[in-house]
Amino acid sequence: MKPRTLLALFIIPMGLIIAAVPQNKTKPYKLSAEQMLAEVNTRTQYITPDAVADMIVKKDPSLRLIDVRSQDEYEKFTLPGAINIPVTDLLSDQYADVLNQDVKMNIFFSNGSLVANEAWMITRQLGYINNYVLEGGLNFWFDSFMNIQKPASTSPDEEFAKYDFRKSAGSALGGGSVVTMSQDQSGQSAKPAIKSTGKKKKAAGGC
Amino acid sequence: MTTSKERKVRPYINPYVGGVLLGIVLLAANFVSGRGLGASGAIKSTVVTAMTAVSPSIKESSGFVKEFGEAHGGSPMKTWLVFEMMGVLVGGFLSGAIAGRLKLKVEHSPKITSRRRLIFALAGGILFGFGSQLGRGCTSGSALSGMAVLSLGGFVTMMAIFGTAFALAYFFRKNWI
Amino acid sequence: MGPLAVNEIISENTNLFLAFIIGIGFGFVLEQSGFSSSRKLAGVFYGYDAVVLKVFFTAAITAMLGLLFFSLFGWIDLNLVYVNPTYLTSAIVGGIIMGAGFIMGGYCPGTSFCGASIGKLDALVFIGGLFLGVFIFGAGYDLWDGMYMAKFLGAPKISETLGLTDGIFAFLLIIIALAMFWVAEWAEKNYPREEY
Repeated sequence: MKPRTLLALFIIPMGLIIAAVPQNKTKPYKLSAEQMLAEVNTRTQYITPDAVADMIVKKDPSLRLIDVRSQDEYEKFTLPGAINIPVTDLLSDQYADVLNQDVKMNIFFSNGSLVANEAWMITRQLGYINNYVLEGGLNFWFDSFMNIQKPASTSPDEEFAKYDFRKSAGSALGGGSVVTMSQDQSGQSAKPAIKSTGKKKKAAGGC
Repeated sequence: MTTSKERKVRPYINPYVGGVLLGIVLLAANFVSGRGLGASGAIKSTVVTAMTAVSPSIKESSGFVKEFGEAHGGSPMKTWLVFEMMGVLVGGFLSGAIAGRLKLKVEHSPKITSRRRLIFALAGGILFGFGSQLGRGCTSGSALSGMAVLSLGGFVTMMAIFGTAFALAYFFRKNWI
Repeated sequence: MGPLAVNEIISENTNLFLAFIIGIGFGFVLEQSGFSSSRKLAGVFYGYDAVVLKVFFTAAITAMLGLLFFSLFGWIDLNLVYVNPTYLTSAIVGGIIMGAGFIMGGYCPGTSFCGASIGKLDALVFIGGLFLGVFIFGAGYDLWDGMYMAKFLGAPKISETLGLTDGIFAFLLIIIALAMFWVAEWAEKNYPREEY
């Protein structure tokens, strides 16, 4: 049989199959269950509010705060410079470049740690790096910076150091006293647009 | 006893078989490196290296060299394409050796002279070199590899190349037939 | 899960080494198919030798089908595979200039390396021309970098632009390619052939 006919006979059915079958759009898990368990047990994903406040005050460019609550809660109050990726939309294509990269430190936060941890677990299992969880979430954040208690005079020096730091950080973070979750946050800076900076390494090509 | 003139030359393989094999090579390239084949990029690498060697300040003054530097960190010769083209030389040589086609010659239609062929080869090369930079690839990199990944740019370039060649074929027919 | 180098299953140096091996395969297949001969390459434009058409399109649809099936089986992540970007103006103008170069020189960069490796001097001269052409482009870059960067459309796939799925487009292309093969065989019958 002529090679041409043989080729046609083989390739037409292949073409039909590939035309009929829906595309494989799944995102594969990169980490096995055991690997995830090991990471969860070491709790390396947590980052303290002090560390984050430090980065904000120093204007560290690698910091990227991600509010994983719903859009309503984000608009009522959020941390300075944070972008909003509701956890329900976590896997949507538009955020892929933000979550899957190796340049910036993404710090998920929610009211407590629960929702932020959910976001972290899913993205970690997909193999994304540089994603962290704000320990204690916004609740602990307020306790640390907004409702600062002066330590008892018998406390060690580092408690006082922490207190001083938090007091000054508190003013930089927008509020040295109790802040209620109300509507008068109009002084907030414009919500930053979600840009996809810091792409993960992709194959270069051409020519 | 065979004289050198009776060297047996193996025929070319069936083009469809060749096509399938080439497709497999292209698939392997995409699977291993996430990119397709290419050729003109290796020439670009060499030219950039030569330009930088002759005048190091050109890294700042030439938009061409800067654009290349932004796309590739590190040494311009340590790129995928340069290694691939070195392989092409070896592969072509091996194939020619096995088939008995190794021979220094200028290939041309019997109706024209070698000199005319070489002049056109040079002119064609200059045009192709220039065009491949504008088109961001040649037939291997843009047209073939682009088609395999369904790239629109690759397809457009391919149509332009073959369309133009068909259109101009009449004017250069004396060189070939 | 492919692509191996992008998912860091193999190192960058292994990637470069494999590039060399893949290049050997590339050169070998090209030469075995007759792409080291400028007369065979130019033949498709005159009808006497359609080897370019047959090899090119067979390779394109083989690789295309291969990639789509690999993706179906989960062996490769197509989002990580490089898709050539589309700069509409320079793609067309560059293609036109390349077409002229092709019909005059009878080679393209890949095949010229192949021809040079078996001793074809016209291929060697063509490569010399390539260097000159690239250099001219680079030296006068500022004159045409406007056109070079114009009409950037991102990296769309043909199937996206036409509103089809990848699979359906692949099937259409297969039909078109097979139709072209039949026409090519008919054209070749009408011209005398000799092996170069």
